[in-house]
Amino acid sequence: MKKERISWIGLLLFFAGCALAALLPSPAAARDIKVGIVDTYSGPAAVFGNDALNGFKLAVNEINKQGVLGGKIVFTTRDEQFKVDIALNMAKELVLKEDVDVLVGTINSGASMAISEAVAKKEKIPFIVWTAKSENITGKAGHRYVFSTAENTAMAGKSAAVAFAQKPYKKFWIAGDDYEYGHAIADAVWRNLKKIKPEVEVIGKTWWKPGESDLIPYLTAIQAAKPDCIIFATGGLSMANVLKAMKTTGMENKIPVWIHTATDQSVLKPLGMNAPEGVMGTIQYHYYYPDLAANKKFVKDFQAAYGNPPGFPAFNAYTTAYFIAEAFRQAGKIDKEKFIDSLEGLKVDTPVGKVEMRACDHQAVYPMFLGTTKISEEFGGAISSDIITLRGAEVMPTCEEIAEARKQK
Amino acid sequence: MEFNVSFSGLIIQFLVGLSRAMILFIVSSGLSFILGVLRVPNVAHGSLYMIGAFTAHTLAMAAGGGVVGFWLAIFVSPLVVALISLLAERLLFCHLYEREHLMLLLFTFALALILGDLTKLTWGADYRSLVAPPFLQGSVSVLGTPFPKYNLFLLAVGPVVAVGLWLFSSKTKVGKIARAAAVDREMVGAIGINVSWVFAFAFVLGCFLAGLGGALVSPTLSITLGMDHTIIIEAFLIVTIGGLGNIWGAMVGSLIFGISQSIGILLWPQFAIVFPYLAVVIILTMKPTGLLKSVW
Amino acid sequence: MLLLAPFFVTRFYIYILSVIFVTALLAMSLNLLVGHGGVYQFHHAVFYGVGAYTAGLIAAKTTWPVWIGFCAGPMVAAAAGWVIGLICVRLNKLYFGMLQISLGSLIWIVALRWYSLTGGDDGIHGIRMPEILSSTVNVYYFLLAVVSVCLVAMFLIYNSPFGVTLRAIRDNPQRCEAVGINVRRHQLLAIVIATFFAGAAGVLFVVLEGSIFPDMLFWVLSLEVFIMCLLGGGFTFFGPVVGAAIMVALRTFVGSVTEYWTLILGIVLILLIFFLPEGIMGINFRERARSRSRRAAARASEGADAAG
Repeated sequence: MKKERISWIGLLLFFAGCALAALLPSPAAARDIKVGIVDTYSGPAAVFGNDALNGFKLAVNEINKQGVLGGKIVFTTRDEQFKVDIALNMAKELVLKEDVDVLVGTINSGASMAISEAVAKKEKIPFIVWTAKSENITGKAGHRYVFSTAENTAMAGKSAAVAFAQKPYKKFWIAGDDYEYGHAIADAVWRNLKKIKPEVEVIGKTWWKPGESDLIPYLTAIQAAKPDCIIFATGGLSMANVLKAMKTTGMENKIPVWIHTATDQSVLKPLGMNAPEGVMGTIQYHYYYPDLAANKKFVKDFQAAYGNPPGFPAFNAYTTAYFIAEAFRQAGKIDKEKFIDSLEGLKVDTPVGKVEMRACDHQAVYPMFLGTTKISEEFGGAISSDIITLRGAEVMPTCEEIAEARKQK
Repeated sequence: MEFNVSFSGLIIQFLVGLSRAMILFIVSSGLSFILGVLRVPNVAHGSLYMIGAFTAHTLAMAAGGGVVGFWLAIFVSPLVVALISLLAERLLFCHLYEREHLMLLLFTFALALILGDLTKLTWGADYRSLVAPPFLQGSVSVLGTPFPKYNLFLLAVGPVVAVGLWLFSSKTKVGKIARAAAVDREMVGAIGINVSWVFAFAFVLGCFLAGLGGALVSPTLSITLGMDHTIIIEAFLIVTIGGLGNIWGAMVGSLIFGISQSIGILLWPQFAIVFPYLAVVIILTMKPTGLLKSVW
Repeated sequence: MLLLAPFFVTRFYIYILSVIFVTALLAMSLNLLVGHGGVYQFHHAVFYGVGAYTAGLIAAKTTWPVWIGFCAGPMVAAAAGWVIGLICVRLNKLYFGMLQISLGSLIWIVALRWYSLTGGDDGIHGIRMPEILSSTVNVYYFLLAVVSVCLVAMFLIYNSPFGVTLRAIRDNPQRCEAVGINVRRHQLLAIVIATFFAGAAGVLFVVLEGSIFPDMLFWVLSLEVFIMCLLGGGFTFFGPVVGAAIMVALRTFVGSVTEYWTLILGIVLILLIFFLPEGIMGINFRERARSRSRRAAARASEGADAAG
């Protein structure tokens, strides 16, 4: 039939085109190191994705001045839109088509776990998670091909317990995003808190859809139940909304609240002078603390390049770039397995001092800073005050605990 | 199931749901109006709502924030949205009026896609935060529990818009012509009225309402990309259970939607968001054409 | 030719072709209703998702053999199609469409919120497939085989008396009623068949990607499938296959170049609506329709002359 012929011709041309593109030799490998980045660049969590990318770019520019193994570090980004399925597709494309040497990303804990399982482990390519925090990434679901340069929920949980140890709160409410990270952070905090203070109890739990835009009805309902303290297990999507809703419903300074990363720059900056005060938070990086020379330089360069100070995603990504460069240098060649071997146990210089990539679980060891938000005229917004520092070794799960968790899987 | 349902808690949730329903009403009444006159579900309605919110933020910031900025945003950003919709309508949409309905629907979908990315291009990917003017900040105490002042404001604005719409469509000439065109466009054309302009008017008015909804909602949540997807499905469902093209139906639908969700949060937070959808299914199984009479 | 492809192209393109196979099946199943039946199936993705979730959940959460899930998927999807169809088919056109969106959205929101069962927003990933189906090439041949069988089945249905009746109902439902055809029952049967194939496409997706997630049930996907049918040509048989191929290719290749892929899609859609409403395959169709109507007009005037 005539009309069918047109479709076959069309299909034939299409496939011929594909075959041609596939057979064409790829540009000669001058052998730059190719890094593939999957992260969120649209939607509410984009502020973290962009921050991370900026940090990475700054580091790569510095590193490429000397180069690595005779070549440069080049990278390409893909937007996952905070969706796990899109992240998987992008990761597959980066590995199968772009042939990257290292995969890096993302802020979505669910996406990170999926990529770790379905792409990193299957295709045997190293994957460094730089923002997502679920402890399962390097814990229960960890394996040879996944690393984390982000602090994880186990660390945050232990820190939170330390923060609460001195406070008189007994009746807690837990509320947050209904996805991997939300549940991980809530479990971690509660697990550790119960160990230190067995008399605390959860009087209610609320899990909303990640990215739920109108949190006011949830908060008013929680307020009506009159808890002593609320633990918000919110991730990248809802962070901004929950802080905003807290202010609108008048929760600020009335009911104590704890949120991991509440004291971070990228979260508080858009709220400016209208950020809520008195929110307890933990984070592993502040651009204004500690006041080390290396940190000051990093902040100055970052500010000059991007117009605002770095948040923790930028710090993590900056550190990741240096980990990648140093690991390849020590490996001596662009080989994925040798890269992994060198990366285990590696220590690099970062703006806050030396950071180690622990060999037993592939988790970077960071200090944690506890603080409370407070509006500062000088900074034009909220910063963390009354900061307490916890050393990395104090808050991380032990290697034995990790091995135990992985065996159970 | 862990909430102890106190009476004051119930009242607060009811009021919060009611204020949320007001926003839903403003947005879905616009959708319903367009559906009634043009007989096309406007898939781009959510994108226009989102643009309304972003524009409100830009205008408020340009005017220095504060009271002046707020009122400027509320009044001017719907006009901006209306202008955008007018452009889209006159340049592209109106040429399709003779075509099949499916084409019109697909056009609005294409418009939604384009506007969504144009929003990203214009405003970038960062979220924005607009603050209510000082006299609307904070909360009042209702039965001992705090209730946000801004939500009280919404409770007042909603009925004003509803009454305004009703007066407009039943008392003014333009409104009556629009209603007539919804029922029988050939007749309206036959008596010498330019049906294409009636359609243009209906579309622009509907989009104005979407923009107004977006501007009004912006102090209560963070303004981000993706706002369009959440609101459009809710507005669609509200219009469907209310009766296609029926403005009062949109009010009924919005009330059901808003209140069932917020009371649901009190009773079963995990599935609270399912309650409105469940209500929709129950209503539609019993009365598939919607609760109130559809315009056609 | 498709049988030989894995020998010539890299794994990535084998993967893309596999994606096209699954998407094409989904598009073809929709076109059975929209293009050939004139039914306003606005939320077809629901049945795709139901098929996928059934197979995925059985594979991930139970110890039953995976093949049970593969067979159950399309059947559960068809059952859902029957139930929803029963409710919607009482009404016409736009009502049908909007009602279906409403009912379908309930399924979507339940899947989204039932975190303990469905993984909620995260979905479930890394679903294990049997050994024979774990390499890219094997999956490719499996998909090619299953999709081909489905297409043959659809072709047979298209040319059967049932198919002819369906097209007659699309063109003039009142006349069909007058002649005694039970329009509702035919449409309902068509819905069940189409949703069965959609469910099958969903199962194949799980085989290919090993993932299920709520976006598979989202209305945006339904509209995208609509576009595929339109793009390829709604009134032709193979049109949706072409449409699906183009959409997947665009999404993959445009998506790796720019982050504004939806803008491009919107523009393409508008161009399509204005300049090519019958789709790519329809170009020829329009010509044939025009020549056919010319011939019909000539015959009519001849008849008039002969009669007069």
